[in-house]
Amino acid sequence: MKKILIFAIVAALIAPAVFANGGSDKADDGITIAFCFQDLETEFWVAGHSAITNTLEAQGIKVIEKNANEDANRQLEQVKDVIVQGVDGVIIIPQDGESAVTIAKECNSAGVPIGVFNRPPADKSADALVVVANNEAIAEQAVEYIAQEAMKLGRKVTPAIMVGDLGDPNAVGRRKGFYNVIDKYPDLWTGAPIEIPTKWDSNTALANLQSAMQANPDIDFLFTSSDFLYPVIKSVLAPLGKWQKIGDDSHILLAGLDGDKTACSLQKDGYVDATGVQDVYAEAQMLLDAMLAAIEKGEKTPNEWLYDDGFALTQANMGEREMDMWGCKILAGE
Amino acid sequence: MKDRNWQRFILKNTTFILFVLLFLIFGILAPRFLSFKNLEIILSNSSYIGIIAVGMTFVLLTGGIDLSVGSTMYLSAVSSGTLIAAGWPIAPTIAVSLLIGIAMGYVNALIITRLKIVPFLATLVTMTVGRGMGLFVTKSVQVDFPDSITLMSTVKVFGFIPLQIFIFGLVVILAMVFLRLTKSGRQLYAVGNDPLAAERAGIQTRPLITSTYVISGFFAALGGFISITQIGRVSAGFGSGDEFDAIAAAVLGGASLMGGVGSVFPGTVLGTVMIQMIQAGLVYTAVDIYLHPIVMSLIIFFAVLLDSVRTGQLKKMERRTIMKITS
Repeated sequence: MKKILIFAIVAALIAPAVFANGGSDKADDGITIAFCFQDLETEFWVAGHSAITNTLEAQGIKVIEKNANEDANRQLEQVKDVIVQGVDGVIIIPQDGESAVTIAKECNSAGVPIGVFNRPPADKSADALVVVANNEAIAEQAVEYIAQEAMKLGRKVTPAIMVGDLGDPNAVGRRKGFYNVIDKYPDLWTGAPIEIPTKWDSNTALANLQSAMQANPDIDFLFTSSDFLYPVIKSVLAPLGKWQKIGDDSHILLAGLDGDKTACSLQKDGYVDATGVQDVYAEAQMLLDAMLAAIEKGEKTPNEWLYDDGFALTQANMGEREMDMWGCKILAGE
Repeated sequence: MKDRNWQRFILKNTTFILFVLLFLIFGILAPRFLSFKNLEIILSNSSYIGIIAVGMTFVLLTGGIDLSVGSTMYLSAVSSGTLIAAGWPIAPTIAVSLLIGIAMGYVNALIITRLKIVPFLATLVTMTVGRGMGLFVTKSVQVDFPDSITLMSTVKVFGFIPLQIFIFGLVVILAMVFLRLTKSGRQLYAVGNDPLAAERAGIQTRPLITSTYVISGFFAALGGFISITQIGRVSAGFGSGDEFDAIAAAVLGGASLMGGVGSVFPGTVLGTVMIQMIQAGLVYTAVDIYLHPIVMSLIIFFAVLLDSVRTGQLKKMERRTIMKITS
């Protein structure tokens, strides 16, 4: 009896969370698209999620949402589940490039069109509609602006890069774009860039940035592979007296990539020099247009890679292009 | 005889000797590594995971495991962020987040001690449920903390000890005192060594085991709070994977996954700081970032291997001594 009572208490405690993730997802007669995302850890993914769901719902399409909570296996199971439910198409934000391939193959063999949003499959062995930011080109544009600013200083600059998870093709592309510019101006830098691993984790980023700043106090250009790390950067640079606005002698040239509202606010306040921007709304629209066209044509395994070349919002073009950055739109709406 | 004493000294302090050796090697390769500031940074960044690892040590001592600490960190941090955003003052907010940690620990203990479900499965469930609850509250959206919280990480106690290191130190001292000087502390080792024998000897195992999960939950929430004072933001992945770092730190410090063996100091503290030191050392010495996981894993594997060899050697030496005495 006692055991049953304890079981009931525990069940009552965990029930809200279990049922919050559950619910009936049966498809009806209209078009139904499953949207399976790995999680929404940053503002970018939150914006991408609402861009996709809002656009689909505005067109009267039923959306089944599944959150895998950063678990690639769970995401695969969720996709299998929605295929059984008879959805017309699947859109995923995968955990990584490898799992994207596995999931796409699962959809291919079931004859369900699949779209991959902003985290590309590791290879092209499976058919999929893939929309991806051209991370290399976007990073290049932001770092190019910094290089031009560095030239104006009339001295050599010590560059550093906060590298994302090396299993994520986005992180690899951004690192490549950064190095393209570094290699383009070999005489501008004091030496090889200092690489700071973050694994897309704030605590790792904090510890490694602190170590890097201690080991190389002369770092005066920092490129972060994602804007979500700005609070960490601030907490490391501020105690060192290096969290300063542009124009101050202690200012560190700062650039990032994504285009979130924190970056927008910091750029407006004069702390950040440039931001590589992915056009999250255009990316969502591109993917949905391609997916709906495939469903209409009855294509089971559409295969196309769509690229967002993005742009760099810099201190020089803030006036004209500010509202092209999705983070600035969100900030303006608040 | 003298040689034997030296041998015993070296064997008993293998992990510490390895720690010093690594510190010196990194220092030779990058002289700035030997600075006092670097030591402070390493300790500061070890603090939050160290606090969680201390809680984990209590659980491991009983032969249990707590996989839910990362989710507890997330749930309690999300709660405090939500309450602060709602205008709550900081002190009651911290109290609520710590209470959530205690509650999570208590639920774990209930499942394990009353429903007799193995700790691995029980805490795996609460790990999933805890994160699910946090995600339900936030809808996966990150929670930002105000400067009043992040400025705490710059506070120096007595004018020179960073707050996070001070709290870590306090936790370590309290845990040490509990484990070494109290009856309950010593009984934990007995329970971990042989729960049935401990019960037969009159030890109340259930409340002891319950207390370890409550302590673990409390320290997970506290560690989570320390972490947010440093990073200022809680995203959906906050705390994810930290359970394994905490277990690795405790095991590297000599705790056994089978229970009954382990210490908070120097054990777990040394394990935690060593992991952080290796991470910092790799950055200082500019090792290729693609090699970081390999080098890190190899050093940790070597340390654990060394620990296992020295445990065997020590047992052999002790056996020889006993045989000599009895003959």
